[in-house]
Amino acid sequence: MLKILVCVKQIPDIDLVKMDPETGNLVRAGVPTLTNPLDLNALEAAVQVKESYGGEITLITMGPPMAESTLRECLAVGGDEAVLITGRPFGGADTLSTSYSIVKAADMEGRFDLIFCGKESQDGATGQMASQLAERFDASQVSCCLSIDEIGDGKLRATRVLETGREIVEATLPCLLTVEKDNFYGRLPSLKDYLAAKTAPITTYTENNIDGLDLNKIGVPGSGTIVPKIYPPELPEPGRIIRTGSVKSDVAALMDVLTEKGAL
Amino acid sequence: MATYNKITPEIAGQLKAVVGEKRFFMGEDIDPNYSHDEMPIYGKYLPEAAVDVETTEEVSGILKICSANKIPVTCRGAGTGLVGGCVPLAGGLVLCTRRMNKILSYDMDNLVVRIQPGVLLKDLAADALTHGLMYPPDPGEKTATVGGNISTNAGGMRAVKYGVTRDYVLALTVVLADGRIIELGKSVCKTSSGYSLLHLMIGSEGTLGIITEMTMKLIPNPICDVSCLVPFRDVESCIHFVPKIKLANLDPQSIEFMDADIVTSSAAFTGNPIFPETVKNEDVGASILVTFVGSDEDELDQKMIRLGKIAEEAGALDVLVVATSSNKKAAWAARSSFLTAIEADTRLIDEMDVVVPVDKIPAFLIYIRRLGEEGGIRIRNFGHAGDGNLHIYCCSNDLEEEEFKRRVKIIMDKAYTKCAELEGQVSGEHSIGHAKMVYLRESVGEDVFRLMGEIKKVFDPDGILNPGKVCDAALRS
Repeated sequence: MLKILVCVKQIPDIDLVKMDPETGNLVRAGVPTLTNPLDLNALEAAVQVKESYGGEITLITMGPPMAESTLRECLAVGGDEAVLITGRPFGGADTLSTSYSIVKAADMEGRFDLIFCGKESQDGATGQMASQLAERFDASQVSCCLSIDEIGDGKLRATRVLETGREIVEATLPCLLTVEKDNFYGRLPSLKDYLAAKTAPITTYTENNIDGLDLNKIGVPGSGTIVPKIYPPELPEPGRIIRTGSVKSDVAALMDVLTEKGAL
Repeated sequence: MATYNKITPEIAGQLKAVVGEKRFFMGEDIDPNYSHDEMPIYGKYLPEAAVDVETTEEVSGILKICSANKIPVTCRGAGTGLVGGCVPLAGGLVLCTRRMNKILSYDMDNLVVRIQPGVLLKDLAADALTHGLMYPPDPGEKTATVGGNISTNAGGMRAVKYGVTRDYVLALTVVLADGRIIELGKSVCKTSSGYSLLHLMIGSEGTLGIITEMTMKLIPNPICDVSCLVPFRDVESCIHFVPKIKLANLDPQSIEFMDADIVTSSAAFTGNPIFPETVKNEDVGASILVTFVGSDEDELDQKMIRLGKIAEEAGALDVLVVATSSNKKAAWAARSSFLTAIEADTRLIDEMDVVVPVDKIPAFLIYIRRLGEEGGIRIRNFGHAGDGNLHIYCCSNDLEEEEFKRRVKIIMDKAYTKCAELEGQVSGEHSIGHAKMVYLRESVGEDVFRLMGEIKKVFDPDGILNPGKVCDAALRS
């Protein structure tokens, strides 16, 4: 039976997050959360593999206790087990310490044949987690996966999307995959699974119950990068529609603007 | 239609004096879109002149001039209608309310909002939400003006629980054909005070007066909501499920019907196949999307559990839950895109908006599909299953326009006859315009049609307001 791990992340609804202009911090208070949409594509790929080849899907996330709701959402659409890594010492982690924490917690659940990740998270958008996890899991990696064509004999064959075409690759297991969304749109949960997920058990790991966890490698101390400042990008001057009421006066107004800007 | 006068340079000067030079248009300065609505198959008619009005007084001034000179006036909002209602059939003047787009005030004690007619539906809905309130009517076309919604008595997806636009209009400021300004209704919960001219004005499509200000009722925004998609193998079992939802006392906010074809079109258009085409390895023939609102999650869970039980008994393939914000956005974006999706892959299109008793929906859909097959016309349909309102589109990419019109007329004639047999009505929410006038006449009969014409005459003796629409034919026979 394939053991499959799917890494998911709860993020703030980025459409609603604002930046404090004084401090440069993201204002997340009161902002609704959602599951990173690209992680749901990864989960769907895992579910399709499970449906074709059999297997068991373990979901894993790191975050505050409220991240449990993301795990329940994913349990409802095909996850079998769920793992939450939570605790203050994990806070402020960059991708280096996050990948370390996830691998150490995943090791508590045994060895995985397949690991699925979203291509990136919509809030941080570093796109670094997948490669770091593949390295730490000592797994091969297939990125930009369009389809998983065959799994067997300790390896898989998959089709990747490149800028110039498609590439069919073979990789040994364990293998970490990131997927394109085209064939892996998330599905709606059935009512039965939705209700069952509400009370499903969730394994919780903290800094105190992960074997061999080096506290110097988690959270801020374990991070290799610091973010000294966040600021919004400078936006170009927005476009303007000239609508004065008639074509003639529109043209006259346009000529004025072009002259003023030195374009004529 | 009656005979009218042309807009002479002298009259044009008078009109210009009311709104100012920048909001008066003639000739090539007239927006060409003023010649049609979203159903150009019904013909294009350019006005002689157009004005963008900003105040009740301007509308009054314009109508005084047009009334004195017998100039036809066609009122227009966002032009999103589907029956040629805002098209200036007799030329004359188009009076556009799009600049009257201000939300004037909220009365939080009485839960009412006062707005101008050019406010867009989506803007009112969003603004009300910032006050913790909901504007319940939810027609699919969110860029329509609320004034247009009142003029057509638009319904929409939440009508099954909350009713239609009419139920949320408390008071109107109306300018009559001769320029008099009248107030209809008050901000009160009930009235038994003579003939309701307020309700006569609602749904009158700009043929009785021009609405310039509205007082609308709002409700507290529901605390939480969830939707369920219930897929079936075929249309018949899907529709037969609708009365069962109502009888189960689940009080849904909406019950929307979608068949397999429209789901495929929508997925191709939005790029997100949120509604599945197969469930448990079986093809989905049609689905019902049900939405519940409540005060907490437990209440919604209990409703879904009861829905699941009756769905299973009705032979549903499954019950799928739309609970996350991402899925809700995707599901309602897909549902709201149905008409746009049809328009995107169709060159020639005509539509009907009948409403039939809910239990007659399958009979009507089967009939219309057969007509489409016999006539070589592609039929697309979706609708508000909870209230029997069906949107049926006749589509073709291959036929010449004249041949398309000929074939569609045969289908429409038979379909409206069938609708009458099933005790249905010509329009659920798109109204009559000029496109459906002949079918209205057949549906209501000569006595009622003539009464409508007589009422029109009382309000507008010279017939200058939106000529050629609704019951105009009654004035000529």
